[in-house]
Amino acid sequence: MNFISATYMYDMEGVNKTHIKLELGNNKFKHIPMNEANTDYQAILTWIADGGTVIDNGGSE
Amino acid sequence: MSEIKVNKVSPRTGTYVSLNTVGMKNIIINGDFSQAQRATSATGLGNGDDGYHTCDRWKLLESGTPTYEFTQSQSTDVPSGQGFATSLKMDCTTADASLNADNLIRIAQIIESQNLQYLKFGTANAESLTASFWVKSSITGDYSVSLYNYGSGGGARIISSTYTINSADTWEKKTITYDGDTVEAFLNDNTAGLNLTFTLGSGTDYTSTDSTSWGSSSSGKLAYGQVANIASSTANNFYITGVQLEAGTSASDFEFLPVDVNLGRCQRYCTVFMDYGAGDTNSNRLYNSDYANVHGMARMGYPRMRVEPSLTYSSVGFSIHADYSSNGLIQLMASGDTNFRIYDILAEAEL
Repeated sequence: MNFISATYMYDMEGVNKTHIKLELGNNKFKHIPMNEANTDYQAILTWIADGGTVIDNGGSE
Repeated sequence: MSEIKVNKVSPRTGTYVSLNTVGMKNIIINGDFSQAQRATSATGLGNGDDGYHTCDRWKLLESGTPTYEFTQSQSTDVPSGQGFATSLKMDCTTADASLNADNLIRIAQIIESQNLQYLKFGTANAESLTASFWVKSSITGDYSVSLYNYGSGGGARIISSTYTINSADTWEKKTITYDGDTVEAFLNDNTAGLNLTFTLGSGTDYTSTDSTSWGSSSSGKLAYGQVANIASSTANNFYITGVQLEAGTSASDFEFLPVDVNLGRCQRYCTVFMDYGAGDTNSNRLYNSDYANVHGMARMGYPRMRVEPSLTYSSVGFSIHADYSSNGLIQLMASGDTNFRIYDILAEAEL
């Protein structure tokens, strides 16, 4: 999976992380739900385990 | 009142199972490659391009850092007179005549475990499985086809067999029967249960260990028996259609499904919206509505999928800052922007 950056997205209350937003370039994005049955999320977990970092700005832009 | 008179009633011969012998007998989805929601062609597929590109439910698997490249497409080249309209084509565009030991080229379908319970894997009554398919290749010789059981906690297991392309560039029908796995059951949920994999080329790392009977999976078993390499020349093409995997020891005729049924089965794993692929055009846009007169919220419902899908989209000059979606509902918010749209929306919940 190729992407420029990965950022956590939060719920309405701004408390719980719900998705990871990938910036793919050219105004294209991918939202991955934080559900371990989602195979993209499994891939992201592997990427994190290999040293990747998901940006956490608390839900603000 | 009707009356039926018979002289003799004979028992049916051969093996059969009581479920899935009539209707939906094919464990494979989109075995005729008639659905290609994402695209009908994808070019430059090689290193790092594991994934779903064209025909629904069929995944390209590669390993190592290969130098070969392929164009994968939905083709209208089909075996004559068999009722098929489409096939999957792999066209080698950059050759690698001598694959590295860790290179592998495969096409696979991963099957959801809760659809497989009637096979009774993990018991003494495990059903045999028969795979049948039509194939056409520029390269004659032996090809490996494997079944990979993801298991239910006892570890993944594999069995493989081979078929032979006898005549180059000629459609041939192949049939392979596998024993059922009496050792390891499937989970009964929405995760991966079984994987039917066609190898198109393999380095020596994956052909070293006999896997012609069920056993614990290892790298050396993944492509046991594979000799052919369709990446050997840019003149090479490989086609496949009519893939059927069914319980029992014999192959029946391919089960053609109505388009609504076949598409619906595919959409459990991949759904495209509107005129997906058409770009930023009127028929392909999801517009926002105002939220609290300050923010923009875009919403759209769809049939639930295997699991909440990943959502890919393109946007015009704004940033969605929150995703309140769940399985069956897209719900995206842009803070402080009440005038936005997204397009080319793709939802994926593949295995």
